Amino acid sequence: MAAPELSIGPRTRGGQARETRARDKKPEKTAIPWTGSPVSDSVQRMGIPADRLPDETLLAGLGAGDPELSLAFVRRFQRVVFGVAVTVLGDPTTAEDVAQQTFERAWRHAQVYDTRRGSVRAWLSTIAHNLAVDVLRARTSAPVDPQDLPALLTAMTDTPERFAVAHDSAAGLRRALGALPAGQARAVAMAGIYGMTARQIAEAEGIPLGTAKTRIRDGMEKLRTAYLREDVGDE
Amino acid sequence: MSEQNGMSCGEFGSVAAELALGVLTGRERAQAVAHLDECDTCREHVRQLSLTGEEMLGLLPSREPPEGFESRVMARLGVTEPAADQSPALSSTKSEKSPQRWSRRMLTMAAVALAVVACGLGGWALRGVTGSTSGGTGSTAAAPLREATLTSATHETEGQVYLYEGSPRWLYMGIDTHDTSDKTVICQLETRGGKLITIGSFQLEGGYGAWGSPDPVAATDVTGARITAEDGTVLATASFTSH
Repeated sequence: MAAPELSIGPRTRGGQARETRARDKKPEKTAIPWTGSPVSDSVQRMGIPADRLPDETLLAGLGAGDPELSLAFVRRFQRVVFGVAVTVLGDPTTAEDVAQQTFERAWRHAQVYDTRRGSVRAWLSTIAHNLAVDVLRARTSAPVDPQDLPALLTAMTDTPERFAVAHDSAAGLRRALGALPAGQARAVAMAGIYGMTARQIAEAEGIPLGTAKTRIRDGMEKLRTAYLREDVGDE
Repeated sequence: MSEQNGMSCGEFGSVAAELALGVLTGRERAQAVAHLDECDTCREHVRQLSLTGEEMLGLLPSREPPEGFESRVMARLGVTEPAADQSPALSSTKSEKSPQRWSRRMLTMAAVALAVVACGLGGWALRGVTGSTSGGTGSTAAAPLREATLTSATHETEGQVYLYEGSPRWLYMGIDTHDTSDKTVICQLETRGGKLITIGSFQLEGGYGAWGSPDPVAATDVTGARITAEDGTVLATASFTSH
């Protein structure tokens, strides 16, 4: 049996069921009670402005209900979270709701966030993505207009200075995605970003089901190789 | 390797990516999940694919949310927003819309250094140190952290050095030179008596690099740091203020 993973959204991928969402409910914290030192106390002793603190510290502050650190956390990640949501959904209004839910979920699960399994940014992005895909799947319309894919892939593989600085560890993955054959890149984006099944991709692209599955597999294997190479290099 | 529940490792490999991305459905999904229960190798494979998928989300472009978003989030969480004059530094995060290369990296360096303090330094995987929270935040936070700016001969800011005098002692530095070539650089500390001690070397990629060392030298004796090229050319120096 696989080792147990966190029971929250982003950790449920890879074969485990997604968490059932409790939308429109007043948030109730069910995570492990905070037992560490008051975050704001440590921060004040260190004399560090909140916006210079590590992501994990801000997340701890969010979980502890520290107003200043919570606000700093939201400000730091709101563009990332909203970017994921609006990319997947296309509709800013629904995307904002998903983005708000993402922060609510992060707040609720802050104490069980496992730093060894990835960055706060990746964790939040995956929460937002899972929530957005859930909304997308509830819709009857096509998840994505194939005409929109080239622009998205260009944005994802663009390497302007701001990306190189903001998220260096993704550089290898970005290059690998940019180097994929167009069909594989589209299939990976359709599956990985829009949550489309191989059958949906086959229909959207007008290709056999087997071809769609092969494109997802081959594309993801190349990205995995690039990711592992980058990850090893970071250690 | 395993061939349980009707799906071999080879067959699993053909659907592993779909499973990792959460788009595998029906009988294939059930068979794949059953196979995972029996096969460590495939479980690791799909874990790596899942992490790759999550990392791919980080490539999505950021977007500015609608006006008032943060206030609505805070209200939703039931957290009272701090008064504006209580957190003047927070307003500076707005500048992240168009960050300067150097300042952004320096903030990252500072964050890593501070994380070392906050996390109690559980080891020397420097790049992973922000990923460790096992040490708690209490006992080491009040220990002195000395900071100095690395400047070039032409007085341009090239990086930052942090010297932590708690227990254990450590040194951390980040450098982002205007010369964006890849090269190996050497870190030296200067002591009160004027002695230069070579602590180690690290690689700059595109002019950027970060490096740390545990317990470099009795910190109270350190008056400065400098970065040199392999041929001894001094690239940047920093002076710590005395206690």
